[in-house]
Amino acid sequence: MAKMDGGKFFGTFRACSGIKDAVVLTHVPVGCNWGAAMFKTTSNQSDIRQACTVMHEREIVFGGEEALREALVRADKLYNTPLLAVVAGDAPAIIGDDIEAVIDSVVLNKEVVWMDAAGFKGTMREGYEEALVHLARLMEERNVIKNSLNLIGFCPDDFKVDADIKEIKRLLNSAGIQVNCVISNCSFDEFVNAPAAELNVVMGQGTELAEHMKKAFGVPYLEVGYPYGLEGTKEFINTICEHLHVGVNEKKLDFDLEPFKRIYLYLHELYGTPVSVIGDFHAEPIAHFLDCELGFDIEVLASNEDDYFTFEQNVRNSNTTILFGSSFERNIADELRIPLIRFVYPVFDHVCVYEDAPYAGFRGAVCLTETILNAVMSFGKETG
Amino acid sequence: METDVKLDIDVKAERYGKALETPEIAGRGKGVLHDIFRDRAFHGVHQGTTWQLHRYGINCKLSGSVYAVTEILGAIPLVHGPIGCSFHQRLTPRRIYTPIQDMPCTGLDENAVIYGGEDELRKKIVDSYSRYKPELIAVLPTCVSGLTGDDIQGVIHEVEAKVPCDILYVPSEGFAHRDRRALDVFLKDFTKAWKDPAKVPAYEIRGYGHEEVMLALVDQIMDDQYDENADNLVNIETFGRFSYGFESELKEMASLLGKMGVGINTTLLSCTVDAIKKAPAARLNIVRRGIRWAEQMKKEFDTDYLRRWFFYTGIDGTEKFLLYVASTLDLDGEAEEVVRIEKKRALQELDKYCKTFKNHVFALFTIGFFFTPYSVKTYALDFKIPLKYVCVDTRWMRAQNVSDETTESMIRGMGELIDDWDLGVELVVNPNLHELKEIAKKVDHVLGERSATPIYEKEGISMIDTSIGAYLFNRIGFNGMLEFASYLTQEMKKQRNHREPIISKFDYDETYYPILADPMCLASREMWSTMWRLRSG
Repeated sequence: MAKMDGGKFFGTFRACSGIKDAVVLTHVPVGCNWGAAMFKTTSNQSDIRQACTVMHEREIVFGGEEALREALVRADKLYNTPLLAVVAGDAPAIIGDDIEAVIDSVVLNKEVVWMDAAGFKGTMREGYEEALVHLARLMEERNVIKNSLNLIGFCPDDFKVDADIKEIKRLLNSAGIQVNCVISNCSFDEFVNAPAAELNVVMGQGTELAEHMKKAFGVPYLEVGYPYGLEGTKEFINTICEHLHVGVNEKKLDFDLEPFKRIYLYLHELYGTPVSVIGDFHAEPIAHFLDCELGFDIEVLASNEDDYFTFEQNVRNSNTTILFGSSFERNIADELRIPLIRFVYPVFDHVCVYEDAPYAGFRGAVCLTETILNAVMSFGKETG
Repeated sequence: METDVKLDIDVKAERYGKALETPEIAGRGKGVLHDIFRDRAFHGVHQGTTWQLHRYGINCKLSGSVYAVTEILGAIPLVHGPIGCSFHQRLTPRRIYTPIQDMPCTGLDENAVIYGGEDELRKKIVDSYSRYKPELIAVLPTCVSGLTGDDIQGVIHEVEAKVPCDILYVPSEGFAHRDRRALDVFLKDFTKAWKDPAKVPAYEIRGYGHEEVMLALVDQIMDDQYDENADNLVNIETFGRFSYGFESELKEMASLLGKMGVGINTTLLSCTVDAIKKAPAARLNIVRRGIRWAEQMKKEFDTDYLRRWFFYTGIDGTEKFLLYVASTLDLDGEAEEVVRIEKKRALQELDKYCKTFKNHVFALFTIGFFFTPYSVKTYALDFKIPLKYVCVDTRWMRAQNVSDETTESMIRGMGELIDDWDLGVELVVNPNLHELKEIAKKVDHVLGERSATPIYEKEGISMIDTSIGAYLFNRIGFNGMLEFASYLTQEMKKQRNHREPIISKFDYDETYYPILADPMCLASREMWSTMWRLRSG
């Protein structure tokens, strides 16, 4: 089975690089470090916070511990950061580097957390989950802030991540709820103070961290779908408010239909359009929006953990007219001459730098609808 | 002789990914410059990020192999490693524009690490054939399969009877990459060759994957039954379908060589699997990258090779190159006449532009690199551009970990060549902005490379972007220079407004431009530089 999954190393890297003032030290040969950097920097070219131990043939033969020791000492001096996250990949796992011992052997001024992230040991999701639990040892007991929550499940290179977080925060704030920490897209301090939240809201991934925090700090958690669409958003807010016993101000949760009214005839025309969706945990909620709110017919709904070849065949054998996925679906979309709406990691051929154009939340429903319409309407003769 | 090399390029392109699909559809055939600008925009938009990332790391050897295999129409790479390796390599630096679609992977897990992954590989080869029906499956080991010691060649031998396609083994383990001194040594040797073309280093950038694929193809796929050397055929090594202006360059090469009586057998690796098998039918390989594969072909099939180097640039250089090709193929008389006519035509046409250039004074701002002295020579002697200053910025070399010693020897070599050629140019090394402004005041036009243009323009230095010269000067043929001269003439006529581009408003690090003056970015660069120096090679 061929999955379109980045493996444990990528998941761990993404979780760690979400601590925005941390440095990720990859203990790997050059290629793994490059790959992680390339996927990340397409979404933020000015945010370079990673280093590599550069495992070469010599380290493969004699061990990579000395390389790691040197890298730790140098990184400790060079970077002004509170945390070094050591992410060890395939090679040190196979040759048996004693990473714990190396870390213990050096005196450093920074916190160091290390993770066994050998790609062959699991999926991207597993890497993410495990990394957050490892990082959780940095968390400290705090007084609980009333009506506050942590959002868990984000990565710094998710498509539209900053815009989505801004919109979700706006909606929660308007309901009287404070976002304490967004994991993993936060500062070191915010992460350390995460136990101050009254509730953890798991949005697709990060359940193991939530479980851990429940046990270690008594923070309850709630699993919700990613808030796509008007109804999806409403449900998201309502569910959280209910758990926090915050009265929902229905008026504040009223969404504005005016933008949709301006293009309602187009939406009429697209009603019943067959579409397909593939992605991580974002896929189901967005498919729900496309189906239940825009009235599209979902032909194929696939997860990154499904066999990709089968997904492609299923899409080829369907009437799919619009494809929703990542940049990796560009080829199949080109082949079928249909538009591709990028909404899920990895997206490396579109940028999203405007923080007021989310896909999540009420505003996101408008932006997403606008994107879909523009993609369909501009899909001209040159590509069709 | 007419050669329809284009056939190779389009075959199965739909399935295996065309280069630059959108631009091709948007405006194919509007001319060489248009092709290059379009490729530079649509492909180059990704390339800049990749270049910048080289300040913080290098890509996996596997990615070079993956890219090389996907250049071959009808071939698929099969990654023998964990799923993360194939996920990551779908985005290979030279073709980010078109991520790789058909790339099966054995998906090695902990069991495979303990018990070996040979069974997975066996099954995956068979499965890959039944799914993708390729003509060639290239098995690419990763660090994991390299460490567990799977007998990949043994597995291939076992299953080759079960799949009706060729199977290639390419050593691609990521930990066996190039040496830390690779670029430094390369530049040092290059500098020697500037002065004495006979001293062209037999050195190549090893271990970045591409060369390994070429070698494996020579050893395992090329077929000596085609070693007939019948029709004055040559193979041309290309930088690939994703190179800027590839299509128009290919067209010109085919036309010019055809007139000389030389046929293009194939363009390696932008060709079909079948064409690779038949590569030994050529009598000559025109090499543009590393020479190991060509040496191997010489050894196995007695195919001569000629390296297309910088000293074959310019009108005379191009002539020399073409005559060398003709002479190797015993076509001296007939081909000499064609080259003479083509050269004469080029000189006549160039003369129109030279008349415009000679009435102006120019300065050239450049980074000191492979082709700099020969580019200067082309400006001064071929275009007859009155070049008063050549300002060389060596920061790029420093940022690439080139040693001070090598940088100094390059600058020294550059100066000596400029003197030897009696170009009457003043070489200015690493001038500051104030000095550059003063130089700009003393000339009519400043020719420069796009990378630093925003910074200069902010300071009021108006520049003509001549970076497309890099894609035109080294073409096999005279037209590249004519296109450049035409472009330059047009640019000289343009009125330039004072610009304050947004990208000039950031704080950049002075030494490592265009890295931002950001402590995290700079520390990451420093970390990479140090660890690379300490560990690799």
